[in-house]
Formats: sequence, C-alpha cells, structure tokens
Amino acid sequence: MTGYLLRRGGQALVVVIGLMIVTFIMIHLIPGSVARSVLGVRATPGRIAIFNSTYGLNEPLYRQFLTYLDQVAHGDFGTSYALQEPVSTLIAQRLPRDLVLVGLSTVLALVIALPLGIYQAAHRDRLDDHLLTGVSFTLYSMPDFFFGILLIAIFSVQLHVFPPEAPSATSLGGILADPRALVLPVVTLALVTMASYSRYMRSSAIEVLAQDYIRVARAKGLPERLILSRHVLRNSLLPVVTMVGLSFPNVIAGAVIAEEVFNYPGMGLLMYQASTSHDFPILLGCTLIIGVATVAGSLAADIAYAVLDPRVRYGRT
Amino acid sequence: MRTIGRLAMAGAAIALAAAVAACSGGTSGSAIGSGNGKSAPAGAKETGGTVTMAWIAASPNFIFPLSPATNTDGYNENLTQPMWPYLVYNGDGGASAVNPQESLYSSMTWSNGDKRVSITLKSWKWSDGTPITSRDFLFSYNLLKANYQNWINYLPGLFPTDVTSVSTPTAHTLVINLNRSYNPDFYTEDVLGFVPLLPQHAWDKTSVSGAVGSYDETAAGAKAVYAFLQKQGGDMATFTTNPLWKVVDGPWRLSSFSTNGDYSYVPNQNYSGPDKPALAKWVNTEYTTDTAQLDALRAGGALDVGNLPLNDVQQAAELKSEGYSVVSDALPGVAAITPNLYNAQAGPALRQLYIRQAMEDLINRTQIADKVYAGYADPGNGPVPVQAFSQWASPLEKSGGPYPYDPAKADALLTAHGWKVVAGGTSTCQRPGTGAADCGAGIPAGQPLSFQLLYSSGQAAMDEQEAAIQSSESQGGINITLKSEPFNTLVGQFGVCTASSHPASTCGWQLVDEGYIPYNLYPAGSGLFNTGGVNNNGGYSSPEEDSLVNATEYGSSTQAFYQYENYTAEQLPWLWLPLESNVWVYKSDLAGFTPLNPVSGGLNPEDWYFTK
Repeated sequence: MTGYLLRRGGQALVVVIGLMIVTFIMIHLIPGSVARSVLGVRATPGRIAIFNSTYGLNEPLYRQFLTYLDQVAHGDFGTSYALQEPVSTLIAQRLPRDLVLVGLSTVLALVIALPLGIYQAAHRDRLDDHLLTGVSFTLYSMPDFFFGILLIAIFSVQLHVFPPEAPSATSLGGILADPRALVLPVVTLALVTMASYSRYMRSSAIEVLAQDYIRVARAKGLPERLILSRHVLRNSLLPVVTMVGLSFPNVIAGAVIAEEVFNYPGMGLLMYQASTSHDFPILLGCTLIIGVATVAGSLAADIAYAVLDPRVRYGRT
Repeated sequence: MRTIGRLAMAGAAIALAAAVAACSGGTSGSAIGSGNGKSAPAGAKETGGTVTMAWIAASPNFIFPLSPATNTDGYNENLTQPMWPYLVYNGDGGASAVNPQESLYSSMTWSNGDKRVSITLKSWKWSDGTPITSRDFLFSYNLLKANYQNWINYLPGLFPTDVTSVSTPTAHTLVINLNRSYNPDFYTEDVLGFVPLLPQHAWDKTSVSGAVGSYDETAAGAKAVYAFLQKQGGDMATFTTNPLWKVVDGPWRLSSFSTNGDYSYVPNQNYSGPDKPALAKWVNTEYTTDTAQLDALRAGGALDVGNLPLNDVQQAAELKSEGYSVVSDALPGVAAITPNLYNAQAGPALRQLYIRQAMEDLINRTQIADKVYAGYADPGNGPVPVQAFSQWASPLEKSGGPYPYDPAKADALLTAHGWKVVAGGTSTCQRPGTGAADCGAGIPAGQPLSFQLLYSSGQAAMDEQEAAIQSSESQGGINITLKSEPFNTLVGQFGVCTASSHPASTCGWQLVDEGYIPYNLYPAGSGLFNTGGVNNNGGYSSPEEDSLVNATEYGSSTQAFYQYENYTAEQLPWLWLPLESNVWVYKSDLAGFTPLNPVSGGLNPEDWYFTK
C-alpha cells in the first residue's frame, strides 16, 4: 500500500504541474486586455502601464510562468487584481463556507440516499418504489436555483420560518453558530444531490440482491434487516463511493448557483467573478487547489474501495 | 451605483423564477414616490437605533482615501467618504449643487482671470480634537503632486499637475495658482470636489512606529509617506484597529469591517459639521445579487434600506404594505451606444452623420423607458440627463432632443443618401460615392447596413433594451446583431479607437453599450467627446466639438454650455439611450431618507433618524 501511495503521489504531482501549465496557457489565451478589463472603461494609458508593470504583465509569458511557479513553491498564490487581496487569504475566507455548505449537503444527501436506495431496491416495482422514483426524478430534474428560490418564497417570504440568506460569517464557528440560516441552502443542495445518489444506490442494490450470497444468507434464515444492512449496503456502496470521491472537488469548487441565490459568497462565486474579470491569480490559485482536491478525492475513493471490497488490493501489479 | 457582472443564464433564470415565486406582489402604480421630495416624519425624532443597508456586490477593499491607480474598486469611496469628505461637498439636499453647510470651506474666491482660487477653511476639527488647517490641504496636495500617476482619480492635465503653486497664508486660508483659466463651477465641483483633506498631524509618517514629521515637504518624503499609507490602506484586517484610520473629519467613523463586504459605522462624536448623525449605528451589508437582496427585504426584519430592481417594480406595493417606503432616484449620468468610427468594417458607415441620425431616429427611447424601465428612466435626449441635471439641460434636450423616434425620417435620410431601404431586412448601398446624395466615403455598392452591438450580459433589462433596439432598427432596414459578454470581459475587448490608432485587438467592436457613464456634479463632456478623451472610445473628433467642450471647462457661460450640449446631442458621437433610475426601498419609520443626494450615491445617513 505504501508503494502504491507513493506512486499515486508522484502521478498526482505530475498531473498538478501539467494542470498548472495548461491552465496558465489557456488563461493567457483569453482575448482582450487584462489591464482594461480590470481597470475598467476609464483606464488611462498611464494607469494601464502602471498595472502591467505592477503585475509583471509586460514580461514574456514564459517568465511570468516561472515567476508564478516560484511564488507557488513559496506558498504565495499571488494577489487578486480586482480584490487586491492575497489569493491565499481569499481562499482561506471562502473555503470554510463551501466546506460547510457543500460538505453538509453531501453528508445529508448520503444519509437520505443510502437507505432510500436500499429501501427502493428491496421494494422494487411496488407502489412505494414508483412513488419514490417519481420524487427522485422530480428533484433530479429541478435546477437547484429554482428549487432554492421556491424554498425561499415558501419558508422565508411567506412563512418566515427560515432566513433567505445563508450565514454571513466567514469562519467555521461563525457559520455553524447560525444553523437556521443554513437550513435552506443545505436542504436545496442535499435534495438535488440525494436524487442522483439514491438512483445509483437503488441500481447497485438491485444487482447485489440478485447475487448468490444473498440467497445463501436468506436460506440460512438471516433476518431481512440484517441482510440489507450487513450484506447489501456494504456491497452496494462501491459505485456511490466513486461518485462521492469524484464529487470531492465540488466541496472545494463550491456551488456557484446556490451561493448566489442564498447570498453566500464562496469559492464558486469567487472563481466565476474572477473568470469574468481576467483575475488570473485567483483563477490559477483556485484551479490548483481544485486539481489537488480532484487527485486526492480519486485516491480516497480508491482506498475506500479497498476497505469495502476485500478483493481489491493495491501495492502489487 | 453599479453592479458587477453576474451569471448570465442563471441570472436571467433566477429573475424569472423570482417573478414566478413572487407572484403575490401587487402592481406598482403610484407606489413609488420621487426621491426629490422630503419625507414627512410620522412621529417624533428618536435618537439612536441601527440602520442596516444592503449593497449589491459592493465590497470595498481600501481605506486610505487616495486609492492607487491599480485599485479599481469603485466602492472604496463609499467606505471612505463618510469619514474623510472632500473639500467640496457635492449635493445639497435634492439639488445638484454644492452644499455650503457640509463643505469644509467657508469661502472660495476666484481671481487672476480664474487662474487663482483662494479658499478659507471652516474652523472644524479632526476627531482627535486637532484643528483642520490649510496644512492638511497642503499635505494632500504634496502627496498627490509626488504620486499623481498612482492616484486613481487623476485625469491627465488636471489636479495636481495643473497647479503651479499652493500657499497657506494662514492656518485657515490657502491659495491655489493654476496654469490656466478654468470655469470656476467645473473646477470647484468636478476637481476640488474630489480632493479630501488629510490629517497631516497623524498621517505624515513613513512607518508604523516612526514619528510624525513633515516628510511630505520633499518629493522623496511624499513618496515614502504615500507608499506607507497605501500599504496600510490595503490591510483590511486592520481597518478598524489601525490608529491612522481613527482620525477622521466626517460624520462617521468605522466600527467594524469584514472582508465579506459587511462594515458598519458609529457617529464621530467630535464631528464639527451641522448634520450630526442621530443614528447609533449604520450597518452596510453585501448581497451577491439584487434578487437575494429583494428576498431579504420581502422576508422582513433584516434590512432597513435596499434597492428594488426595475424588473421587480411590481413588488413596490407589496413592500409598502410590509412597512417600507419606495422612492426613485434619477442617476447623474449618460447612457448611450458608442459607435466605433474606426472599425475596419463598420467605421466608414458609422462615420456618416446621416447614418447615425437614422439609427437614433429608429431608437424608440420613450417606449424603452416605459416598457423596459417601467417609466423610471431619464429619457436620454442627449448628453445631459434632464432629470438629474435639470439646471444644465438645454431647452432642446428638455423638449425631447433633436432625434425623437421617427422611422419615416430615418427612411427618408437613408433613401436620400442612396440606400435601398428594406424594412424588416437589411438595406444596401445603391449609390456609392462622396456626393451629397451618395452613400459616403469608403462605402461600396451593395454594402449592407449591418452592425454588431456588444453589451453587458446578466441584466434582464439590458437584454430587453437591446432587443427593442434591434427590433426597431430592423424595421428601418438596419440590421443589428446582438452579442453580450460579462461586463469585465466586454471592457477588456474594447479600447479607445482613433483614426491614427485602431488595433484589431481592441477595436474589433462596432457598437457597444457599456452601461452608463456617471457624471460628477458638472455634466461637461471633457474626456467623453473631445478629441483624445479617455472615454471617447469610438474616436469621434471634431474641432467644433473640442472648442465647445473647452468653452464649458475653461469658461462659465450657460449659453456656451447649451451650445456644447445641443451640438453634441445633434452630432451623435454616441447614440443616446434612456438611463434607468435607482429605486430605493426603506423602512417607513426612517425619516430623513429623502431628499436623496443626487451626487453622493443618493445617500446622506447622517440625516436619517427613526421616528417614535
């Protein structure tokens, strides 16, 4: 396992560096003047010259990249052109917000989806399965912004039960200290995500239920509840684990629509706004972090596979 | 106030969904009042209380009042002005005029052929009790003189590079000598109206632990002080704790600041001005979108002041029933489509005045103002907004401008110049040439009358406006193709294009609607329509225009201003459009909200108070 992890770590480093190079080149291929885009319509030639000089944009591209690599190696992701703050500070401010929002919604989605998928598989083609399938498809097909606005209209504007905004604090403690404000955004994301997880779980559980070892368990007289919880759940989790592993970068990348609807500026809005304003340092910094998260999520899924499925063993090829 | 670009598709869809979800709102009708009127208090004045006010994507990030050239955050002025007001306070109640009570000077006298201005300062004090003196102005001037290229408000040729000397005969008088004569109104309102006085006794230092001195008196010292203050001014973590920023002369001082865009003020107890705040606290909180902010208003409780998006004016009556008042506020600016007179393809056609006239004749501004902006818009009859700057609007502009909607006139103009007009299609040039009845120089036979219009995405009203223009132009045989981009992307794609310099990289655009350009208090055209102006992106150039613009800047004749205004309206360096108003929503028990200051973003919180 150690050798496997080292090999994967080396691969990850190559992937991340490749990602940086590709991102750097692609970002600089975006047409238009960076200085004008950032400084706005009233930018004078003098201000544009100062801007380009300040941020080294009048240097050759390869030198800009080497400077950036040097900065990153020293833990410096640069300073945002538009927000005038270190990118690392901005990420540190925004990331906890998404860790809470997307993290909680993912956990809630799993908590609902896993038993729901197994329940539907065990009650396959019955009325309750059809009803739950209808609910899942409805939620799955509903855009999260629309769902969020509906919840706001009902629970905030009409019933005044929950606030229409997510917590405004930037620290983890501050965000969690206002749980009422988290309800609507977390539920919005969770229900939409839950729908897809439960469908995967249902399909996977149906396959497992048809396996010989399940028949053997039933023949041995094991209670159905034990069969479902001990044998079906564990063996049905593999595809969902893959999904969760691949969705790990989403926790880092945020949920731009939900952030906008619930007035909760996180990583998603940070990157979206940076992309429309040529704010290269933010785009590069965020892409790097998300790249690392993608690699880490994929690795975590592989390890989880090994834990869940004894047939999977890493370390030998 | 401006809003940042937002998710184009999602934004439009959110607006749609909000409209669906908010179907319980009533109609606006007369629910929206005018921001020019004075609000009538319903009860006795109450001292204290907290007002929470919403901003849309308006996080400030710099507290030193002289922002560097590379900091484009226009909301920094929102943060700093309540603490360090400018020498000249623009906006007097609801009037577009200098406010003599709130300004830091008591008299201003022009002499030497309007090349010298003598200013007497009021005997006001900084928050630490130190008198405000002419040395404080000199400090500001010295810093700017040494660092003007790194000051965001610097305009080439103007303050401080147009100053030949500044003297301070007494502690409360100063004399500024200029290198040319100016229109005193222009210079007072548009130049000195953007120069703050800075506390020399507290800020003239080059390091945190260093002593205060007179470093600003040498260029090197002024550069060192400026660099130090710039560095401190960008450290958001210390905005409320840094001793530098605790010395203020405005009615407010900062009490909290969060990098998420929320910040609040408490009254400066030692404020010397007449309008001492009655509120105990003024909280500014940021929203990502106007929809999110409207949801918060409708949910009740959290917000005292916010904006009502014009797409949601039907919510005005609903908000009034929930205890809010709603008023509109005409913006001091000009909205227009800029034609690129030197675009390789479209330039020859757009340089023809008759084509620009036909295009303007085909823009149904009245309909756009009524349908797209629900009637809350300046008609856009020329370069001066008639609602916000009534005193500067010429009779021609007030009477509808030179080009009211007239498709028949557009048809006649094009036909008379050799075009085969195809209503609903694309007209083509039939008589190339440079004669009076020909299409014009550089326009070959068969050239279609077709242009691309670039505009900022993410705002439903903007989409509707451009679609309306596309439709009405099409009816007159002018084909407009629409292309929308996020604002910052759009801005990055176009630059100033002139006859001598029109690189393809930044001059590939043909027509652009970049939103609106705000005016300062004096709505002159310098920088917009004169040759080489920093905002003259389309490259319009006319000796007559230059002469008329100069006359408004260097002279003070109302007739000269009208001549400039009428000529500009007629020559169409830009195609005039309606300018949407701001609609404010505020708690009905909040008095003093109106009249809205037409210049300072519409707000004077020091005048606000709750009623019992």
